[in-house]
Amino acid sequence: MRVDAMSLSLSWRLFRHEARRGELTVILLAIVLSVASVLSLSLFSERLQSALTDKSAEFLAADRLLGSDKPVPPEWLEEATQRGLKVAQRNQLRSMAFANDKMMLADVRAVDNQYPLKGKVKISETPFGLPQVTDSLPQPGEVWIGSRLFQVLGVNLGDQLEIGDKAFVITQAVIELPDGGFSLFGGDPVVLMNQSDLAATNVTGPGSRTDYDYLFAGDDTALDDYYEYLKPQLNREIHYWRSVKDDDSPLGRSVKRAEQYFLLASLLAIVLAAVSIAVAAQRYSQRHYDPVAIMKTLGASAALVRRVYLLQILFITALGILIGGIVGYGVQQLIASLIAEKVQVALDSWYWRPFLIAVFTGLVCAMLFSLYPLMKLFSVPPLRVLRRDLGASMGSRSVQFAVAGLAIFLLMWAYSGNLTISAILLACGLLLVVALMLVTLGLIALGRKLGQARMGAWQLAWARISRRAMDNSVQLISFAVTIMLLLVVLVMRNDMVQQWRDQLPEGTPNYFMINITEGQLPQLEQHFLARGVKVEQFYPVVRGRFAAINDETIRTDVSKEADSNSRGRQGLGREANLTWSNQLQHENHVVEGKWHGGAAPGEEPRVSVEKEVAERLDIKMGDRLTFNIGSEVVRARVTSIREVNWQTMQPNFFFVLEPYAMAEFSPTYITSFHLDTEHKAKLAELMAPFPTVSLFDVDARINQLRSIVEQVSMAVEFILFLVLCAGTLVLVAQVQASMDERMQELAILRTLGARGMLIRMSVVLEFVIIGSVAGFMAAMANELALYLLQTQVFNMQAGFHFQFWLLAPLVGALVVGILGALSCWRLLSFNTSDLLRRMI
Amino acid sequence: MTLTSNMISTKAITKIVTTSQGELQILQPISFDVKAGESVAIVGASGSGKSTLLGLLAGLDQVSAGEIILDGQPLHAMDEEQRARLRGEKVGFIFQSFMLVQSLTALENIMLPAEIAGLSDARKRATEALEQVGLSHRGNHYPNQLSGGEQQRVAIARAFITRPRILFADEPTGNLDAANGEKIENLLFDLNQQLGTTLILVTHDSELAARCRRQLRMHGGVLEEAPVSGFEDKRHAG
Ligand SMILES: Nc1ncnc2c1ncn2[C@@H]1O[C@H](COP(=O)(O)OP(=O)(O)OP(=O)(O)O)[C@@H](O)[C@H]1O
Ligand SMILES: [Mg+2]
Repeated sequence: MRVDAMSLSLSWRLFRHEARRGELTVILLAIVLSVASVLSLSLFSERLQSALTDKSAEFLAADRLLGSDKPVPPEWLEEATQRGLKVAQRNQLRSMAFANDKMMLADVRAVDNQYPLKGKVKISETPFGLPQVTDSLPQPGEVWIGSRLFQVLGVNLGDQLEIGDKAFVITQAVIELPDGGFSLFGGDPVVLMNQSDLAATNVTGPGSRTDYDYLFAGDDTALDDYYEYLKPQLNREIHYWRSVKDDDSPLGRSVKRAEQYFLLASLLAIVLAAVSIAVAAQRYSQRHYDPVAIMKTLGASAALVRRVYLLQILFITALGILIGGIVGYGVQQLIASLIAEKVQVALDSWYWRPFLIAVFTGLVCAMLFSLYPLMKLFSVPPLRVLRRDLGASMGSRSVQFAVAGLAIFLLMWAYSGNLTISAILLACGLLLVVALMLVTLGLIALGRKLGQARMGAWQLAWARISRRAMDNSVQLISFAVTIMLLLVVLVMRNDMVQQWRDQLPEGTPNYFMINITEGQLPQLEQHFLARGVKVEQFYPVVRGRFAAINDETIRTDVSKEADSNSRGRQGLGREANLTWSNQLQHENHVVEGKWHGGAAPGEEPRVSVEKEVAERLDIKMGDRLTFNIGSEVVRARVTSIREVNWQTMQPNFFFVLEPYAMAEFSPTYITSFHLDTEHKAKLAELMAPFPTVSLFDVDARINQLRSIVEQVSMAVEFILFLVLCAGTLVLVAQVQASMDERMQELAILRTLGARGMLIRMSVVLEFVIIGSVAGFMAAMANELALYLLQTQVFNMQAGFHFQFWLLAPLVGALVVGILGALSCWRLLSFNTSDLLRRMI
Repeated sequence: MTLTSNMISTKAITKIVTTSQGELQILQPISFDVKAGESVAIVGASGSGKSTLLGLLAGLDQVSAGEIILDGQPLHAMDEEQRARLRGEKVGFIFQSFMLVQSLTALENIMLPAEIAGLSDARKRATEALEQVGLSHRGNHYPNQLSGGEQQRVAIARAFITRPRILFADEPTGNLDAANGEKIENLLFDLNQQLGTTLILVTHDSELAARCRRQLRMHGGVLEEAPVSGFEDKRHAG
């Protein structure tokens, strides 16, 4: 496009005047809206994600972790430091801790002074005490130990504890380590010591299986670069690299799901933006038929007309992007500061990506979606100055839809890099459009029938809808798409937050007790109840060794612990906890075979196996499993495979046998109870009569988990709020734009003396009808989109949402109807000559 | 310029349009000439094809058959781009509904053809033209801030700014009351006279028609020369 001074000055003048006269408001608003919503959403979610990543980094105590079986070459660490990364070292091994002639297996962690790079260590002066954040670490010669060690070994602060060859002084109780893991029973109790003491213990011999972990923190790109440097030198047998991003804990999954939700929301914002721009551009084009015809009549070449209008669109886009950028940043900043105390978002952080995306979206949307309306505009013949009914000559609306659909799809894909989400949204959108086209055709047919009746408001509305059905189809589609997108984000958020909450309902047990003897049961229950604490179900447990499958001896030991710290390669040398019951545990589902409960005893005892362990050990239905319990041998046939929800905070078992098979063993019992964090002090009193019972404290873990889930839910709500605002504005813009098209008709009706009431009623009815049809169709499309999204992207249980089949049409009718009524009222407040004059 | 050279010369032009009911011949073959500087009124009943003919003569539309020579240029053989250039160079327009660009001021509307034609003194010319139609104080007003008569005066100023060889007017006074209509007519004929522009106007107003040197009557797509008896010179009446 060659731009000469004349077309530049002409389009600039047109732009200035039209902007001042409010002619450009709708399209400008659409661009502002698109840029603002995309910017605020993606900026906000970028910040949230970094806040959440930071939060999950706490569970690694770092951003990245290099694990090794042996010390790594010091150059590797120097290289990291040189690249500006923070480095910390941590050694971890299992070793016996001795005190008072008692001993207990402990999870020994020797850390250097940089530890932890992320998160905080929490300690207390008393075991199971209220956690206090500290920045210090055990001095050489000191250890901080887990609460359970105090209990089992009968030690107090200041007492001695031996690890290997070295004696330490116990100076604190460790309540919580950031990288403590999410294991239900917390693994073995922790002994935290200074790294400089490790050598003196002499426990790191060849057979000790010491882990050498190197923690790194810093800027994401620097970390990725560092990994690139490290990668060729790593040996997969010895080393492994972990990032917060491949966190597969329940928490990690929640955060990932939230991230996907943000992505989805931003995508929807882009689509909303595109829809509103398409609507506005159409209106813009229609309003410029006359000027184009006039300019052509006066001798303007097609090229000149093109230049003038493309330049004008460019000016509008530039202005829209500028205003949208400011508004979007402001909105986002406002929201971020509102929730800053709940979610630790960094207010001063700056991200370029959202800005680039927003500007790009604004440009692409404005250009692509105004392309077709502009092409139509350019085709307006000069003869229109004589024959007023002549419009643009280009037909095919399907070309417009195809181009628009493709553009939206490419935008979504480019932005998300996620083909599945983009394809799902596009497919559902397309289906919706096709369905709406059919409905439109139906309306035309229906309108023809109704046309004969007397002219009431109702007939007037129907007549208008069907007469302009094709014109209205764009509007109907944009209403429906908008409503559908809003439904998707709304329902998605409901389902997601609900599932998170279900994971950790109020009163989730936060303490576990094991080693309860049969004789203690009634007394314990009584004692707790008297102090207002309800004890959950007791599970009998016998420790057994899983010895053979179909009499084939196995070398690998199976452990019950789904230790999130385990990396699969650690041989879990512990015995399995065997339980028995005829009752299927809550949150367990049989996925293969039949639950043995209640069935008549067969010739062989039956056992139910947890699915993951079955897969890992290749246990099949019908296999015969052998367990060694003490000197006894128990054999059982696998008759069911269970899926267990590990995310519930309740005891879960790999193997559940039939009670009669275990009748001769005297078990100990496991149970759990809930105690509010504030009442922690009660613990000592609760546990006092039962010194042999071991207590596991997962309160801190649960609180951590809950606070993250709360923050994520909160963030999701705000995103939802943002998208709802954007969607509402889009609806407003759409109604405004369509009002404009109706103006002429209203003016004529008014001139012909139609009563205001009749006009109003007919317009409101028209919008109500369009709104409810759009709402209903949107509810259906939403159902499909949700099903696909939840099953294909979010890995959630999908369900039907019948309430929205009713709600969506109602709300659609209500909102669109009210918006229509408002703009209609405004129009009718002008007197007829004003109206006619505005129309020209 | 002499009265003997033809400004417009048409040979058997017809217009056929296709509608949903089939082909419709709006204009029967029409042949006539208009001399330079002549003023011609086309009259006739509503729907008789006056505007259609005007559109063809002005190069806004394409003939179905026949030839139109406008100031020596074969209009029938040109494409829309060439016709646009020709319109810009030689033709001025005035319409019943004024056809001003709503988002340009009066002055800018007048400048528009000059700008399109690439004249460097567009603003100066427009200011003068605005003065000529007696609206110099309204130059910064938008069309919807002007009365119908004022808008049409702006349109006249716009039509004359490029000194066109020929001016087409479709019901120039159709939307105006008698007094304003009279003002417009006088302005039109004055300028026509001063600049020697050829004037072709379509009108229902017999008085206005009568002020033209020649009248053509349209009847069901057929054009016939009307007797010039009604011609009286009112040019200096205003
Ligand atoms: N493109 C078209 N398609 C169908 N019919 C057309 C088309 N163009 C013109 N006509 C018809 O041709 C006839 C002549 O139209 P035209 O506008 O030339 O009439 P007119 O003499 O200017 O009438 P009026 O005095 O009312 O302005 C009308 O009946 C009109 O409806
Ligand atoms: Mg006409």
